[in-house]
This record gives sequence, structure tokens and C-alpha cells, in this order.
Amino acid sequence: MARPTVLFLLCSSLLFAVTCALELNGKISWNDVCPDYKQLGRARVVLDDGDLSGSVVKDGSFSISNVSVGTHVLSVLAHDHWFDQLRIDVIDKTTIEVRPYVVGTPLNPPSQVLLAYPITVEAKGKYNYFVPPESFNLMGMLGSPMMLIMILGGAMVLGLPYLMKNMDPEALAELKDQQAKMSQMQNAMTSGDFRGLSALMAAPEDNRQNQPATQSPSTGKAQGGKGRSNKHKKH
Amino acid sequence: MFGAIRAITLAFFVLLSATCSSALHESDVGVVDWHQRSIGVPLIGSSATAPVFHRVGGKNTQSFVVTATESNVLGVVSPVNGSLVWRHVFQPEDRISRFHKRGSIVASLSGPGGATLRTFDILTGDILSEKQLHPPQVGLLAEPHHLGTYIAFGNETNGSPDFFVLTNGHTVNHIVNGKVKWSWTSEDKGSLVTYSNLITTSQSIYVIGLAKSFASYTLHVTTLSPVTGEVISTSHIPSSISNGLTDFIVLDQAASRPHIVWVENNNLQFLELSPTLQKKPSFPKDKLFTKISDVGLGTRGLFVALKEDGTGHIMAINSGFMESIKEFESSAHSESATESLYAGGLDKNETPYVARVYWSHALRLVSVELYAPYHGGGQGLLSGFSFAFDTYQHGVVSHVTFDAANPQPYQVIGRIAITTSTGSVQLWQQDTRQWTREEGLADINAVQFVELPEKLADKSERSEGSFGRFERQLRDAKDFPKYLMRFVKRFATGAYESVTSPASAHAATTGIPSRDTFGFRQLIVAATTHGKVYGIDSSNGKIIWSRILGLGSKAEDGAKIIPIENKLFVVKTVGDVDGNAEVSGPGVPEVVLVGKRVLKSGATTGNLLYHFNALTGEDVISSKKSSNLGLLQGTEVADSVVDAYCLNAEDKGKVVVILDSEMKVHLYPDTTTSRALFSSYISSFAVPIRLSDATQGQYRVVGHQITASTGLSKKPEFSAYPTWTLSLPEGEDIQSIVPSTGGPVASIGKVLGNRTTLYKYLNQRMFILLTEPHSRSSVVASSASSSNHKTVCGLYLVDSLKGSIVYKTKLPVSSTGSCDVKAVLTENWLVYHYYDDEYRGTGQAKGYRIVSVELYEGKQPDDKIRSSDMTSYSDKNLDITAYAQSFVYLHGVTAIATTSTKFGITSKDIIVANTNNKIQSLSRRLLNPRRPIGRKPTTEEIEEQLVQYDPLLPDDPRRVISHRYVVANTRQIITSPALLESTSLVFAYGLDLFLTRVAPSSTFDVLNENFNKMQLVLTVSGLAVAILCTKPMVHRKRLKEKWYQ
Repeated sequence: MARPTVLFLLCSSLLFAVTCALELNGKISWNDVCPDYKQLGRARVVLDDGDLSGSVVKDGSFSISNVSVGTHVLSVLAHDHWFDQLRIDVIDKTTIEVRPYVVGTPLNPPSQVLLAYPITVEAKGKYNYFVPPESFNLMGMLGSPMMLIMILGGAMVLGLPYLMKNMDPEALAELKDQQAKMSQMQNAMTSGDFRGLSALMAAPEDNRQNQPATQSPSTGKAQGGKGRSNKHKKH
Repeated sequence: MFGAIRAITLAFFVLLSATCSSALHESDVGVVDWHQRSIGVPLIGSSATAPVFHRVGGKNTQSFVVTATESNVLGVVSPVNGSLVWRHVFQPEDRISRFHKRGSIVASLSGPGGATLRTFDILTGDILSEKQLHPPQVGLLAEPHHLGTYIAFGNETNGSPDFFVLTNGHTVNHIVNGKVKWSWTSEDKGSLVTYSNLITTSQSIYVIGLAKSFASYTLHVTTLSPVTGEVISTSHIPSSISNGLTDFIVLDQAASRPHIVWVENNNLQFLELSPTLQKKPSFPKDKLFTKISDVGLGTRGLFVALKEDGTGHIMAINSGFMESIKEFESSAHSESATESLYAGGLDKNETPYVARVYWSHALRLVSVELYAPYHGGGQGLLSGFSFAFDTYQHGVVSHVTFDAANPQPYQVIGRIAITTSTGSVQLWQQDTRQWTREEGLADINAVQFVELPEKLADKSERSEGSFGRFERQLRDAKDFPKYLMRFVKRFATGAYESVTSPASAHAATTGIPSRDTFGFRQLIVAATTHGKVYGIDSSNGKIIWSRILGLGSKAEDGAKIIPIENKLFVVKTVGDVDGNAEVSGPGVPEVVLVGKRVLKSGATTGNLLYHFNALTGEDVISSKKSSNLGLLQGTEVADSVVDAYCLNAEDKGKVVVILDSEMKVHLYPDTTTSRALFSSYISSFAVPIRLSDATQGQYRVVGHQITASTGLSKKPEFSAYPTWTLSLPEGEDIQSIVPSTGGPVASIGKVLGNRTTLYKYLNQRMFILLTEPHSRSSVVASSASSSNHKTVCGLYLVDSLKGSIVYKTKLPVSSTGSCDVKAVLTENWLVYHYYDDEYRGTGQAKGYRIVSVELYEGKQPDDKIRSSDMTSYSDKNLDITAYAQSFVYLHGVTAIATTSTKFGITSKDIIVANTNNKIQSLSRRLLNPRRPIGRKPTTEEIEEQLVQYDPLLPDDPRRVISHRYVVANTRQIITSPALLESTSLVFAYGLDLFLTRVAPSSTFDVLNENFNKMQLVLTVSGLAVAILCTKPMVHRKRLKEKWYQ
């Protein structure tokens, strides 16, 4: 076994800092976000860059020893909860001022709000590290607009012939007429024949203007008759 | 006002988390990542910190192994399965000195002189109290660290015991309910007497210490009143102890008065203590003992004393007499066995046992003898067993602790916890090993990722004939239905390999590990300071192989091998194939490690190089296949290694270059081809070396280049010569050199929104130089004389060929006067982190800062100097523009790294390990130093994905890649590309090991996790059904149309 060397070295003590240092006390107040010590887990309360720190003990209290006179930023290091930071001004051995401090803002001028000492801090939130998974859902899938359109389209393909069979012959004729026009229009569009297109667009209006209202029933009749005969043929 | 700011921050936060797509699903935990919690290697030097069994009473008793470790952790391990019950990680400046336990409470003292007292609940690890007893600045810095401290448990008040605590070697505090009831400090304040033990009795408290006298120590005892702390009496005990602490022990039996036992001139002496200290020392009948050993049974009045020939005796004190109650037979020094280790233990009924443990060279077994003095009808009961300890895997047994069970009157079962020289902790129940914890992995100091080869057909398959192949295929055909089923299932459900599937699925097959589809499964080769190398499976953290580094030919007793930090090189990868790949199969990766041999005294004698197979750990140098059984053999290289590098000549091979202190270059392998290869690279080989300057007592950085000369043996010899030295400002000393993170560069410029280009300043010879104030004394002086002489930490980017400073900045020193700057450099991007405690100026605030700096060529966009292939000597070399922005980060950082991907196309994220025990990734988008300040980004800037500058980097929990895991004390992070361009493996090590995958630009090269294969299949099959249904209808209709036309 190694011969233990008994070596004494007295650290160069910063007497000034020691004599003026004081203990900072505080407490975590349990709330809904963090109801007890078990939920909080191991946590540390640190001043500035963590040179001075104190652990949060089971009853929620903490104390930081050796705090020197000056302005400090107090933060709570808890793994799963976040806390607000505080500005601590140690003015002398007995006077300690506690103020709220928002991270990312200048430290000066200090906030006008003074908080009570001993310090009380509470958890502001619990970290949520995960995004919820997207699960497969048949109803959700069927409910999506894309699927609805597809299903509707399918239904139309299958159902349209029967629908047309049972439709009023007049309405059917009108529909066919319109469809024919539409296809014409489309043809004109694709071929780039804009004159034809404008003619087509104008056509219905012209019809309405030129032809007297009495003529329409007759055409309707003729069409209806045709429709009926068609029907007859099919059967 | 705060509300408004918070609302803005929150809105930003929400916006960010909405855009962030790389967050983890909860179901991926433990699948894509793993985390191993360690406690570190137990501190076995003293019984104050060494592992010990502890049983917590009550109806169903529970036992624990409690230990303090070299990693400054107090840990409690379950002896049943080796799992970690809890641990407390102490701060680095708060070094643990000792722990004591009683009932369900563990109390610890830590910091200089035992500054802080903490108590823990042993079952849960809850901190019950924390009390600073003296400021750390006035603490006694003693060596060994536990000296001058002690904790004694007093009576219980309100369920919590009160404590008598000895600190600083001269102060005793009585602590009741967390308050100091009384305090006593010795008059001479420890200058003459250093107290080291406390014994509490109802009448008095004995404070026992050593007084330094001429050439030896004298025992000194002071008795205090337990009620008031007043001194009852104080006296020197006529004694002369030569070895200090190891030569005296204290026995505090509850039934009788306490005793001190010590060895003086090879004579055993003891003294019964009384409050008035009136008694005189006395001797046992047979007093010739040279050594005593405290086995932790002082409360039972038992200890072990050794004769000059090494024979061990169990000694007991009974009613004022001391006698040997048992002599361990053949325990004298011998050639056939190692020195015996003695330990004490208890069973359920608190009956004491003493164990002797030794390694038998002849049997190659560890033998254990257990002696129960009060069993066997009061005659004493000796039982023994031995177990097969694998000395080539775990070194030698260096510490033993045990507990025992006595199920039948004449049967004793021992449960032995051993600590080995390689840092593993094992528990043996009789002759079976229950568990092993590789705590040595808390001290990794060199690590590399190694790519695994693809799983190929067996060698036998490659060499078979056509007939053989047909036969095999016929054999395999019987599996076809199974394959078909699997195929259909896979086709229907989309159970393809995804980025979140466990890489370890492939690990099921034994034998040589092989990689998975996306290359997430790699091998981590890690070397620890305990002289052991591990091959760790990156998919689950399991150890595939481990080897102990051999001491080499010039071995000396007590010497050990410590790998030189990060001098672990992959000299052959799977891509490097000898000859025809078809015949030889994939290359076997090989690794070279450079280690130094350190003597017990701490001096370095020689360096060794180890060359081994990364997949199996087998030696490459000595081609003995049986070498797997023994130690890993190294070859001696230079006596004193200054630095080592790995020259990577692409497809021509890799050469390890070692520089010794005389600046001579040693190559490995030292062959004609490697020498020729190295000569061709000489001109571009420039290295900065940190040299200590003896005259100034500080470090310098000197650039070196290599020159070749022909030696006597006609072989070209290489040596390095200094080319430049950096002159730093007065008072600055080199802290460290951080090389640039290499890797492929995908683009040499950045196209801006207005179609101009900023060309990156890509100087591959750049490195980071961190400086600190010259010495501690000057810091103290300067802080006293305030601001007229301000000390700073410096950060420089230096060109290694010419020594020119490319970029420099000055950073404030921390309140303790040290520099804690963490920096990383990749391509043209520098990111550093520091603490700024200046708050008096307007707009300033104390806090951590992360600064992002990007270097671009020329003065403005479209300026081009072709920096990537420009020589350092060009005068245009420093014609650069730096863009920098500083951000507020909430936490301190212990390690920083960038992600690395296969081709470097994916944007790089910064990975940091913070002081809140998390590993976090910081998005490149937020760290862009060209974010518009104080205005909304213009459309051109939006096109570049620039967001408005916000000083605060949001602490987004979804970017915490270690999520719930508490990854403590991370020292370093390394990253490795996977086969997928989008994904990078991140390995963080320190106290814990943590590995995960990150995809900075999200996984663009594989189907999204959310891709709904089911929907696609259903839609396609739905359409197919629809076609099938409508086809006859259409057919009928067509027919009808034809008929009626």
C-alpha cells in the first residue's frame, strides 16, 4: 500500500469574501406542475455560472452559502421542470433584494417589482420532450377530403346511369345539351379558338333574346317525346 | 412588460416547435438511443470511501452496496442485480471525502476539509439535508482527501439522527436538526495536531488524531462533553507511529469502552480510553505484528493484524485483553499466491465475519476464506470457496467487500463484491458471478466509431462449385413459403427498415457483428485510463469484446498503461480491401492506439502502440490467433511521445505518424511504402505543437513541418523543425488546441436571396487556440487591483502552416479566474460558448453566451479567393469577412460538437452537453450569424430561411435529444455519419454513455415515418376493385352502343 503522505496546505483564503459572505435561503413551493420532491427529482439552485450552488432538499428548501455582496442571477436547474430566473441583490450582510428577471433582457435597470425574501420559486412548466405519434385510423383516413372526393366519384360512376334512367326526360335533355356545350367549349379552349369560344359564350344569351318564351315548351315537348321514345326502345 | 415579452417568446417558441420536425416520439425511446448510467470506479484507497455492504433493517431487510467513486459520485448499487439504485453526482470543486451510514441514512462530507455535510435517504437517494460547515476557501486541502474529517451519529431527535462532525482536522460540530448546536475548535487550529477520528459515547466524545513529532507521529486524544462541547481533557499518548493513518485504528464497541490500537516498532499496542484519559497503553500477549488492517468491524472489537511474514491474525478485544482469535493458515507471503486482502462483513443478524481473499497463481482462481468467530457453537467457523476470476478480462482484484448469510448452523454463504484494477465491479455469490458493472467506462479517454462490414455470404459459399451451389439453393428452397409469407406481410403493412427501427435487430446473430441497412449499427472502440479497450455495439451499448493493454517488455511492478488522449486511429476501414473484394470479402477494420506506460510514482517510461482488429479485439501485430486469451500486446515506440497523427492518404492507405520529444518522426507501419507515402505528403504536413517553456513557466505553440534526410541505414529519416511561433499578448497562456472538425465539404459557397454568392473561407489548416490568463497568482493580483489590468481568455483561429491569426476574440474570465470556453470549428463556421458576468453596462446581463461566427472570402458577396486550395503564403489569405452573432443560452456547456454526415450536404447542427445534464441539439437555422436584427426578414432573406434575430436561443425541450435521461458530466461528444446522408450518430461520454441518432434536416432520404403505407395499399386495391367492377359494365355499354348505333 502506498505510504500516505500527510500534506497540509492551507488555501489562500480570500478573507474579504469570507467575512462579508452570507447564506441565501429559499424554498420551492410545490404547485400543480410540480407537486412534490419526487416529481422534481434532483435539482440544484445556482448563482450566476454555477460557482455557488445549493441542492434542493426533501422539504423543498435550499440554501446557498458564501454569497458575496453584489448582483447575482439565481436559476433553478431541474431536469424536467423550468423555473423563472431571479435577480438577487446582496446589499450588505442583512439586506437582500429579490426581483424577477426575464432571460435575454438586460439586467439593468432592475425591475420595480420586489419579491419576498426568503426566496420562493415555483415550477413554471414541465418539459415535454416528445411529439405525439400519428396513429393509423381508418375513419380518419376515410374522412379526409381527398378520400371523400374519391368515394363520391366512385359512387357517381356507378350510380349515374341509374340516376339518369330515373330522371325527368326534360331535365335530362337539358343536361345533355349543356354537356354538349361544355365539351364544345372545352374543345375550343384546347384548340385555342377564342372566336368560337366567344360565340359559344354569347349563344345562350342570344337564344334567350331572340326566341320568344312561347317557343320553349314546344322544344321541351319534342325533347320529351324523344326521351320517352328512347325509354321505350330500351325496354 | 414582462408579460408582453414572455408572450412574444412563447409565440416564437410555439412557432418553432411547430416547424421542428426532428423531435422524438415517445415510442422511440430506447430504440434509437441508449443510455448507460455509471457511478465511476470506486475509491478503494480508504475505508471512508470504499464500497461496503449495508443492510437496512425492518421487516423485509434490503441490502445495498454503497460507494464513493473517483468520478466524484456517491452511488448505491443493488447487490441482487447490480442495478444502480441512486447516485449523487458531486460538483467537481466539491470533492467527496467520506461517507458514513447508519440505518436508512447515508451522510457524506465533501469539499476541502469536509466543507459540506449532506444526508441522503439510502432507499431513494432523496437529499434530506445539506449544510455547509465552513467556507470552502478556508478548507484544509489534505492528501489523502478524507484526512481530518469524520462523521459520528448521535442520538435521534424527531426521527433524524444528530451528528458529530469533524472537519478541517481541528473542528467538531454537533448538528441537531440541521443546526449547529455547539462547535469546538482546537486551540492550535490544526497546526500541530490533525484529528482524524471521532468516537461518541454517552459520557464523552473522543477526538483522536496524530501530532507530528520528529520523524514520526504521536497519538493525541481530546475528550469533549457531548452536551456542551467543552474540553474534558486532552493528552498526548506516549506512542511513536511511523506510517501515519494506516498504523492506527479505533475500536468503538458499544458494550465496552473504546480502544485505540496501533503499531509501534513492530509491536502491537492498545489503549483503553476513558473520559479523563488516565489509562496507560498495554500489549497483547503475542505482540509482534508489523501491520494492522481495519476491516470495518471496529464496532465488534475485531480487526486483522499481520505478522512480519504476512500471516494474518484476527484480533479481538475482550474485557480489557487483546488476543488473536484466529490465525489464517498459510497466509504468509508466498510465490504461489498474491498478497491477501482482508475484509469484514455482517450477516442478517449483524454477526461479524472476516474474509481473506487471494489469487492463487497455481490454480488460477480467487480463493476466499470466511471466518465467523461466533458461529460453530462459539468455537468459530471457517468456510471457503474459490471462483474463476477472468484475470485477462478484468485485471487483478484490488478491493473486496462482502456480506454473508448463515442459513444453517454450519453453513456460511458469502456474497463478495470486488473491484478490479480495470475498474469493473463484480459480485460473486460463492463461485458464481451475479453481475458485472464496467465502471471503467466512466474514464474513457480515447474513442472512435468504426464502421461494420456488411453481412455477406460465408466464405464457404463463395468458394463452392456450381453443383454445390445448386444443392444449397435446393436446400434453401424449402424456406420459400416462409419467405413468401414474409414478403406479403411486409408488402401489405409496410414493415420496412425505417430510421426509427432498432439497429440491434441485426445483432441477434452471434459471431462477427455486421452493419444494418442504414449503417446505424457501428462499433465504438473506447480506451479507458484503466488500461482497457472496449468494443461497444452502437446499437445497444453492449460490450462485444474487451482487452487489457499489456505492459510491454519493459514492464515494472505497479506500472500501468494510460492511452494518450484521443490517440486512437482507425487505420483500416471496411472500405480498405486487400486485393480482390470478391475473394477476400469486406475489409476487416483495424485500429491503432498509442498509450503511455506510467509508473506508480507517476513518471512516464516509454510509449506503446497497439494495433488490433476492431471487430474482435484480436492482435494484428502478433498474428497468434490464441492471443485473444491473453493481454493485448503492444510494440514499443518512442520514449516520449509529443503528439501522434494519422495520415489519411485516401485509397493508398493510412500511416500513423508519431512525434517524439526530440522531434523525430516515427512511422507506423514502418515500411518502404509507408515511408514513400509519407514523403509525398511532407510539404502539406504542418502541425502546431504545444510546448512548455521552461524559462517562463508557460506554454507556447510552435508550428512544425517535416524534413527528410537519409540516415546511416540508407532509410529516409524524418524529423520535425519549427517554422513559426505565436506571440501572444502579455499574461496569456495556451490552454488548449482544438483541431477543426473535418469531413466532406458539399458546397464552397452560399447563394444569397439576391443571387449573389458568399464564398466560404475553407482553410483546412485552421485550428482553434484557446488561451487563459498566465497563472492563478496574476489573476488574484489583477482582481484585487480591479480593472486597470484586465485578464482575458483568448480565442484564436490560427493557420497551422504559417501561424497567421485568421480570427481572434477576447472573452471575459469567469469569477474564479479560469477560462471555460468551449469551441468547435467546422468548414468556415466557428461556434463558441462562454460565460459573461459583466452586467453593469447598459443592455448587458450576466449569462451564458453562444457565439456563431462564419468566415467568408473577400469583402463582399461574389468576392472569391479560392481559399480551399490556396497556399498559406498567399497575401490574399487573410482577405476575409467574419459574420458573427451572439445568443443567450440558458445553461453552461461541458462539451460541444457538430453533427457529421456522409457527404456533408445535410446542414450541420451543434450538439451541446449542458450543465443541466442534457444533450441538446441547436439548429443551424437559429445559429445563422446573418439573421436580420431588429426588423422583419425581407423576401430575399426569407428565401434563405433567415429568421429575425432574437437574443435568446429558445430552450426547446423537443430538441433535447437525451430527453428524460440524466446524462451526467459529459466530457466529450463525438459524431459519426451513418450510411443515410440525413442522419448522424451522436455519442456522448463522460460519467455516462449516451448514443442517439439525429437528422438535422429531417430524414429527407427515407420515407417519412408518417407515410401511410396502409392508405396507399388500400387506395390502390380499392381502385383495382373498382376497375374490376366497372369493367363488365363498360364492356356491356360499349356493346350496346355498337348495337344501337
